[in-house]
Amino acid sequence: MKERTITLAAYFLFFAVVFALPFALNSFWTNRIAVYLVYAICAVGISLSWGYAGILSLGQGLFFGIGAYMISMSLTLALPDNNPVPQFMLLNMEPNAPRDLCCATPGSFLWQPFQYLSIGVLAGILVPCVIAAVLGYVMFKRRTSGVYVSIITLALALIGQMLIINNQPLTGGFNGLADLAPLSVGGIEFDPYGKSVYYLVAAALLVVVLLSRLIVSTRMGHVLKAVREDDARVRYLGYNVENYKLFIYCLSAAIAGIAGLLFAVTSEFASPSLMSTSFSISMVIWAALGGRSSLLGACIGALIVNFIGSVASENVMLQPVWPIVLGLMFVLVVLVMPEGIAGIAKGWIAKLRQPRSLKEVVQ
Amino acid sequence: METFVIGLSIASILFIVALGLAIVYGTMKVINLAHGEMVMIGAYVTVLASKHLGLGIYSCLPLAFLVAALFGLAIERLVVRPLYGRLLDTLLATWGIALILQQLIRIHFGFGLFGIHIDGLGSDLQNVPVPPELQQTLHILGTNIPVYRAFVFGVAAVLGLVSWWLIYKTRFGSQLRAVSAARDITAACGVNDKRINALAFAYGSGLAGVAGVLVSGFKTVSPDMGAPYVIDAFMVVVAGGVGHLLGTVLSAGILGEVQSFVATWSNDVYGRTVLFAFVILILLFKPQGLFVSRNR
Repeated sequence: MKERTITLAAYFLFFAVVFALPFALNSFWTNRIAVYLVYAICAVGISLSWGYAGILSLGQGLFFGIGAYMISMSLTLALPDNNPVPQFMLLNMEPNAPRDLCCATPGSFLWQPFQYLSIGVLAGILVPCVIAAVLGYVMFKRRTSGVYVSIITLALALIGQMLIINNQPLTGGFNGLADLAPLSVGGIEFDPYGKSVYYLVAAALLVVVLLSRLIVSTRMGHVLKAVREDDARVRYLGYNVENYKLFIYCLSAAIAGIAGLLFAVTSEFASPSLMSTSFSISMVIWAALGGRSSLLGACIGALIVNFIGSVASENVMLQPVWPIVLGLMFVLVVLVMPEGIAGIAKGWIAKLRQPRSLKEVVQ
Repeated sequence: METFVIGLSIASILFIVALGLAIVYGTMKVINLAHGEMVMIGAYVTVLASKHLGLGIYSCLPLAFLVAALFGLAIERLVVRPLYGRLLDTLLATWGIALILQQLIRIHFGFGLFGIHIDGLGSDLQNVPVPPELQQTLHILGTNIPVYRAFVFGVAAVLGLVSWWLIYKTRFGSQLRAVSAARDITAACGVNDKRINALAFAYGSGLAGVAGVLVSGFKTVSPDMGAPYVIDAFMVVVAGGVGHLLGTVLSAGILGEVQSFVATWSNDVYGRTVLFAFVILILLFKPQGLFVSRNR
């Protein structure tokens, strides 16, 4: 068998399992797995930027969080109780301010466009993209690379989180936006605990993976890999390295935004914790465990880490140990299996194929 | 004026933490994300030593240095050394270490799992008693200067001088500078670069431990107190120019004051936001930092 066939079979098997799963699960687990699939989408974005272009963004949580907040604003307003002003805003209203989004609290006019769901969704994808474009432009034009990019993105996520907590009257502060209407499009209501949301997420994952696969298998993918290995050489060959990096970074941000949107739909909340440093860095370990330079590996990594994580945190004995296990995972993955599960799988496949080719040589 | 003094003490803490980070980054090109946890360990050493041994804040300074340095040495040996040359991987691995250290403190060093309670550890917040002579306020030229803030500044100044002497006047320092400028050539000349790495890492961690003692005097001590310091300190290192001692001093000063003044004028969050924006601006116009060290 050719390697290409094996890879194709792996993708096919993975998505067959993903699409068949809801028939074997109760509604609680359907929802849990849907959330893990959302994380898998995010991991694909990280695999694209880190595994293929060597840009380790430690601030993906910022884009994820923005995506979640944008749609959550629309879904908050979609609840009849929150018409015209969300409940939490009433608590912060000045005594004689009109009960209207235009001027209930300072800055509340920013909520006005979110009365339309489509704007919430669009903003959830575009705002991360634009932020990434501006930040990326500044960083890459200045040839910032390596740890600098990582730390700057990390700090940016931290600032995003602080700003959201700090602007309580506008954002719901520390509690975030928790009271959301279920997503309903064209008369179809998506139930977070039903198959509808699950398939929405699974389909999004499929699209994101296929699109990413398409991108990395073109010439662009090869250039990106070359950039990862040695960007100076690629530059000498006449490629505009900065534009390649900028494109992949924006794409990765948009994917994180999409994941954030879907997270808000499946989990029915958006909170500042989505932008926390530890969450942003955890995302990276999902991709690292699965295999940073394998899109499918990154998906599987996200599913495994989160599955074990949620099992562990439900167990009273394991709960205090889980963060230590997670920490050890960081250390061991990096030390022992830098190419992750996908790398190990590739090694096995190569081993399986070797005896036959040896025999062929002997004959 | 009081804002200025507070800014000076913020700058002093930033400087001590950043100095350690700068030495490690300059020598090994490694960002230790567990550096903040060294600050946390320093603070907990103070808590534990004052509770169980009755030690004051002064004797905690060298003790915390030693403990944090030992932790640093262990991290270098176990995790950083095998990852040499793989920059981003080191970032992740040290973050893992940070997670482990935080959680170990939270569950009383792991003894908590067996029901053994250690007073002073755990997820609860702790306060450290500050000796009365440091609690006073001095009136100089019509302004109130809290003695503790001045003490923090003094310690930072002493550590800065000691580090300067160590880096520029000793045999270890010249080897350190040689390794950071041209590792392979230095190693070929018979300098044990691994030993230099380990010592630099330990010294940097020790400095963070001392910063922890100082921080414990005006902030509550908790397992996740250290994390914000790494980012801020890295900002200082980047803004000042890597491998430039004076640059680190000045950029810590500038950033500390910026943060202090913005924080007084509005609030802490905007203080850090402006600080961050400021660093991006610096990097935009001077990508190598404010002070460029003459390197090869």
